[in-house]
Amino acid sequence: MDTRKSSIAIGLFIAATLLIVLVGLLPGAKTLPIEAVLRVLFASDGKIESILVWTLRLPRSLAAAVAGAGLAVSGYLLQALTRNPLADPGITGVTAGAVAPIVACFVLLPWFSSVYYPFVGLAGGLAAASVTFWVARGGNGRPLHLALGGVSVSLFLGAITIYVLLLAGPQSTALLFWLSGGFAGRTWSHLVHMLPWVGVGMVGALLLHRVIAMFALSDHAAAGMGVQLNFWKPVLLLLGICPVAGIAPVAGPVAFVGLAAPHIARLLRPSGTAWEIALTAAIGALMVTCADLIARAIAIPKELPVGIITALLGGPIFIYLIQRGRVGFKGKAG
Amino acid sequence: MTSDAPALTRPKPWLLLAVTVLVLLSFVAAVFLGVVDIPAADVASVLTGSGSPEARSIILDIRLPRIVTGMLAGIQFAVAGLLLQTITRNPLADPSLMGVSQGATLTVTVFLLFTVYIFNPGSNTVAELPIGWLPSAGMVGGMAAGGIIYLMAFRLDLSPLRITLCGIAIGAVLHALAIGLIAGWGSARIEIILEWLSGSLYARTWDHAIFLLPFTTAGLAVLPMIYRPLVLLQFDSAVARSFGLSYRKQFSLALLLSCALSASAVGAVGPIVFVGLMVPHLARSLAGRHFPLVLPLTVVLGAVIVTLADLIGRLVGHAEEVPIGVVTAIVGVPVLLALLRKAP
Repeated sequence: MDTRKSSIAIGLFIAATLLIVLVGLLPGAKTLPIEAVLRVLFASDGKIESILVWTLRLPRSLAAAVAGAGLAVSGYLLQALTRNPLADPGITGVTAGAVAPIVACFVLLPWFSSVYYPFVGLAGGLAAASVTFWVARGGNGRPLHLALGGVSVSLFLGAITIYVLLLAGPQSTALLFWLSGGFAGRTWSHLVHMLPWVGVGMVGALLLHRVIAMFALSDHAAAGMGVQLNFWKPVLLLLGICPVAGIAPVAGPVAFVGLAAPHIARLLRPSGTAWEIALTAAIGALMVTCADLIARAIAIPKELPVGIITALLGGPIFIYLIQRGRVGFKGKAG
Repeated sequence: MTSDAPALTRPKPWLLLAVTVLVLLSFVAAVFLGVVDIPAADVASVLTGSGSPEARSIILDIRLPRIVTGMLAGIQFAVAGLLLQTITRNPLADPSLMGVSQGATLTVTVFLLFTVYIFNPGSNTVAELPIGWLPSAGMVGGMAAGGIIYLMAFRLDLSPLRITLCGIAIGAVLHALAIGLIAGWGSARIEIILEWLSGSLYARTWDHAIFLLPFTTAGLAVLPMIYRPLVLLQFDSAVARSFGLSYRKQFSLALLLSCALSASAVGAVGPIVFVGLMVPHLARSLAGRHFPLVLPLTVVLGAVIVTLADLIGRLVGHAEEVPIGVVTAIVGVPVLLALLRKAP
């Protein structure tokens, strides 16, 4: 794809996302006709339809889109940084690292304002990622080591999270729903709190696309072209974790989006790293808005957690990637 | 990451003796120590058949059944881990890393949710749960996960390492499903399910031990039969075949056994992580890669580790005991990460 086609592809994905957001305004406990939705979208009148659309359905759909874009970029950065096609916030333990301390804060330090949760998530995600990457280095970046390291870190944090939930007593119901990942009841303020974190990751990745492109080749190539590895590696890691830190307090863990979106973007062969990042974000946004719509529409008036939908869709993609040999094992390990 | 070659060093029979002493010690400690302080003399008199009714009920109805249940579950997790590690030729395989535990967790969760509608609508206590059915419910999911592993091995023709990777993905999907189901439909049952989900020996009765016993004995009885294939399976499948071994048959048998052992244990005590990973490793490092010794050591150490972890959880948390799954996670993860880091 040349630059023009890449931008058209990105435009199409964004248009599709907006279309899904629009469709997502229709179903719910009270299903609205499309004329009513369009009417209140352009002229809010304070009636029940207007409240449903503007305070309940629109913010959550947009939050899903923003979270999807953020998770996708996060996965892209982690994959580029580790040169490991299976890297993703879930697999590397970053999500569990962000989620566990937030749950602990919620239960054990109730006076702690939720405004600071993204910082807690960032610290936890960084710590978890450091452990995972330290372990993966022992395996010379083989996917198996990264995955086993990340999954052990996740299991460890998961056991502690469940224990904290036990201590939480009656609060555990709300926490569990959050833990299963989703956007039910998310408002404009959730969206506003999430936006800067996703923005930092996305804008940073776009600005640094040259560095990322060199990293994707090899450490040697990057160093040879004058990239300061010791400086840029932590920076890219931080950029990759930022979106998750912002998204986790709002939506909980949403699995496999960060894994799948970059692969789908690469399949389309955009014209350069910057385009690939933008395309990845657009695809992630579309994936999560679709998952959110499915989660809401499949069992009206009850809602399924979005995390279930993305896991059911993403798991097979993961297995497909491994089976099709897209995951190269270095040395004898294949 | 090929597995250890067998019999590189001399066997050390004294190890078995030392470990047996360790079992006895941990068993004695678990019986004598607890949240309720009972003088040692009273405990001893209960064990010899006398003692006060209060002490009798605490020791015979509370401590002993949970110790026995824990030991049986520990043996099952450990042997299941050893089997998985052998057939996937991956020293870091474990039922909780490969989706078997998560499969069992999912079906147990579904079962616990359904009992509300089937067995006793309206009620909400542990005692009223048809707890005897839990291991069987766990079997369904664990076996299904094993079936997926089997399909990946022979239908998709994946290498053992890729099977491990796929197992991780399947585990993640099944876990998301379980948590989602609890969140969506758990309502009044959430706390009960959470407690089971954290891996706990709390309030385990003789019923649990009796339910686990057939699985443990059957598993241990089958092990000697597949002992020779297991040794060969440590090598390449081609090597195994050249020794006249049906790779597929032995792989399936070992997988089946492993899933049955871990799934029934998950049903009884919840998904206790890392025991299946840690114990075979510990056994290997003690036995010096001598398979005839690794096997019994795995069995014995499985019982010890769970007993000790439970004792720690009981004593540390005091009235609010720390679930055993949390203890094994805290102890096991650093071990695992260090092993991973060292693995070639």
